[in-house]
Amino acid sequence: MEQVMQAPQEESAGKRTGKYDVRGLADPDATAPNTAIVTGTTAELDAAELSTRQINLELRRLLHTEGVTEITLHNPRARHSIAVGLLLRCRIKIEGSLGYFGCGIIDGPEIHIAGRVGWSVAENMMSGVVVIDKNAGSLTGAAFRGGDLVVRGHVGARTGIDQKGGTIIVGGNAGSMTGFMMQRGRQIICGDVGHGMGDSMYDGSIYVAGKVASLGVDCVEAEMTDADNELIDRKFASYRIDRPDSFRKFVCGRKLWNYDNLEPNERKLVL
Amino acid sequence: MSERLEISERRLSGGKSIDTEELTGRTFPYQFDRSLVDDVDLIAETPGDDLNWLEDIELMTEDGIPAVFDRYTNAFLKIHFEIPAGREDEYARKVLIKHLQEGNSYGIWLKHKHAKFAQPELGPWLDGSETVGTNWTPPVLEGWQKPLH
Repeated sequence: MEQVMQAPQEESAGKRTGKYDVRGLADPDATAPNTAIVTGTTAELDAAELSTRQINLELRRLLHTEGVTEITLHNPRARHSIAVGLLLRCRIKIEGSLGYFGCGIIDGPEIHIAGRVGWSVAENMMSGVVVIDKNAGSLTGAAFRGGDLVVRGHVGARTGIDQKGGTIIVGGNAGSMTGFMMQRGRQIICGDVGHGMGDSMYDGSIYVAGKVASLGVDCVEAEMTDADNELIDRKFASYRIDRPDSFRKFVCGRKLWNYDNLEPNERKLVL
Repeated sequence: MSERLEISERRLSGGKSIDTEELTGRTFPYQFDRSLVDDVDLIAETPGDDLNWLEDIELMTEDGIPAVFDRYTNAFLKIHFEIPAGREDEYARKVLIKHLQEGNSYGIWLKHKHAKFAQPELGPWLDGSETVGTNWTPPVLEGWQKPLH
């Protein structure tokens, strides 16, 4: 079966027109524009006149087929869903700001964004490094699995919701419900945090240097250890962030720990 | 399709454990021979200046045997060789990296069948690996027809 097909007659006459892609792609016929300037293993890409899909296709072409390992992306113009699904080691510098869902589902890239980002940057990231020079919106690092996510400015609500690993570092303040349903990993927040921090977290650690407006359900304060301070010192040295004098550590109180022993058997039914 | 997807030897038990041996029906040499993973350079094999995503990887146990969790398969990989005291997490990480670099993670095998977009088979763990996902076709349920409305 073709992945891209013409919409059926009855649909093109009514609700849906144009091409239908079973993978859910918008602009399914787009091709890589071949407009990047390649010099050895580096490339410069001007995104000013390109669609979202063209930008992402060009990034993949450069990384997968041209052997490029370092890309500078100019004029991103706050477009959504840029630099997503990159599953290899590379370095990308984005000269500007991104909209929502930037740098999602990546595994391996080291990305520097010299601007601000919208919702859900680096969601589902598996490994790598994403550094944002300014502020980030809500749901920063949603379902984050591994690697480092550094926001030098402030972040919105629900940072690291459903976080399953990795380290999220925030240079400024964080909004409400930070660390909601967090399951593993670390958050290091230099500023203040809003209400409901760590609500329903199951594991992981949240370090806060500023004030916490209120704790969520089953989030409790714990003692800082030498290992905690070593981690913070190491990460702050790597990203050249000034370390606040002291941090408080918050973890799960383990009152909500209820696990279903039958779950592994249920999973085998679909393997 | 990769011959590694051949899983006729596997036997899914009724137990609670889910490990790589059960999913693939085989074991791998680096589960038994420490010398095969000694030269894995953890810092070089991960992005950034430190351990990056391996920071979360630690030695655990499955069925009472030391094991490392492979998040790409959601299953444990048991480690049968003797691990020097104080280096438990280091060896867990080395075995996992070796497992991923050699393309033996069951979740990676599934890329050959289920990846919908072109991508390097071994992702960020090995340069120049085979590209998979270029010829994906949607599954067809035998006997099913699209409803008229």
